[in-house]
Amino acid sequence: MGKSDQVMDICLLAGEIMLTYGAETYRVEETLERMAKAASMKNVHCFATSTGIFLSFEEEGKDDQMQMVRVDDRLQDLNKVTEVNQVSREFVNRELDAEQAHEKLKAIADSPVPYPLWLIHLSAGVAGSGFALLFGGDWPDLFPAFLAAILTSVTVVEFERYLKVRFAAEFAAAFLGGSMAIVLVFFGIGDNVNQIIIGSLMPLVPGVPLTNAVRDLMSGDLVAGVSRGAEALLTALSIASGVAFAISLFL
Amino acid sequence: MFFIELIICFIATVGFGVIFSVPKRALLLGGGIGVIAYSILNAGLYFDASPVFSTAAASLTAALISHMLARFVRIPVTTLAIPGILPLVPGSRAYFTMLSFVDGEYLTGLEYGVETMLRAGAIAAGLVFALAVFSFGKGVGHRYETNR
Repeated sequence: MGKSDQVMDICLLAGEIMLTYGAETYRVEETLERMAKAASMKNVHCFATSTGIFLSFEEEGKDDQMQMVRVDDRLQDLNKVTEVNQVSREFVNRELDAEQAHEKLKAIADSPVPYPLWLIHLSAGVAGSGFALLFGGDWPDLFPAFLAAILTSVTVVEFERYLKVRFAAEFAAAFLGGSMAIVLVFFGIGDNVNQIIIGSLMPLVPGVPLTNAVRDLMSGDLVAGVSRGAEALLTALSIASGVAFAISLFL
Repeated sequence: MFFIELIICFIATVGFGVIFSVPKRALLLGGGIGVIAYSILNAGLYFDASPVFSTAAASLTAALISHMLARFVRIPVTTLAIPGILPLVPGSRAYFTMLSFVDGEYLTGLEYGVETMLRAGAIAAGLVFALAVFSFGKGVGHRYETNR
């Protein structure tokens, strides 16, 4: 395997990890271009949208290289983005050679989520109940919002794991979370049904695509920015329709 | 009471950090930024500023602090900015928009909907402005090639 092949592999692996786990498009492009230039490649060009990466460069005195990867999953794990960022920084500063960088990137790609799943569900509950209170709930609303938010988080994670349908999972999670809140209030646990429902929906807020859309639009990646914005909008709509379904059924 | 709210806001923001798998060293920083954003939002509301303006000011401050801290701790800005702006998300407005439409009160729903859009836009405006401040001289060409 030639040197340019190896550099191509490293760059595309880094880009794929970053794009999958919620980095902005501009960061992917900038990181790949820096890494390829640091490996003394000439004529480096990178184009990334939210679903794929193209990278082309030429090694001194040899032919041009051009490859692309398609990115299907879009998950949220900002820890991996940070770690790839670190690896690329060390690679550019020549603290890592190509072999070591490739090993490290593979380790990052295979590593699990930094927090165990139960902790994620628990913090979804804590965040949901906290926001139920901040949005004008009272102290008795804390516990039902906690339970409903945990149910929302568990539903969205398990639906995505087994059914692998994105917006349906969010629809089901919003529906079940909203129904749980309504049922709990019906049995006298908690007072303000509206605030409890809002709290139970907060773990579904599409924070990563929303922030990235703004960032991408601003830095001139119009295609990526608009498509991320559409993704955030679709998520918001499926949450709204899920909870609207629950409300019109039970309330 | 406001102090207790700030503590709850901190805990909830850190919880959101865990949901987004923010690295451990950035969790508490993100929570702190969230608390600052929330207190600026409430200070603005207390002094009778419009909700949209308060949201924009809070979002701008949160984004500026995230940019500075991100340089300092060497992590991507989004890991700090995403938890930081979450307390500003107009969740309750969005919910009441949906509720009014379900109840068939379309005018009220439109009113809430416009406010939701404006607040979300204010968050985006704050992010954009902070980004603009930190990318002076690095942006992309837009109108004339003045340096030729």
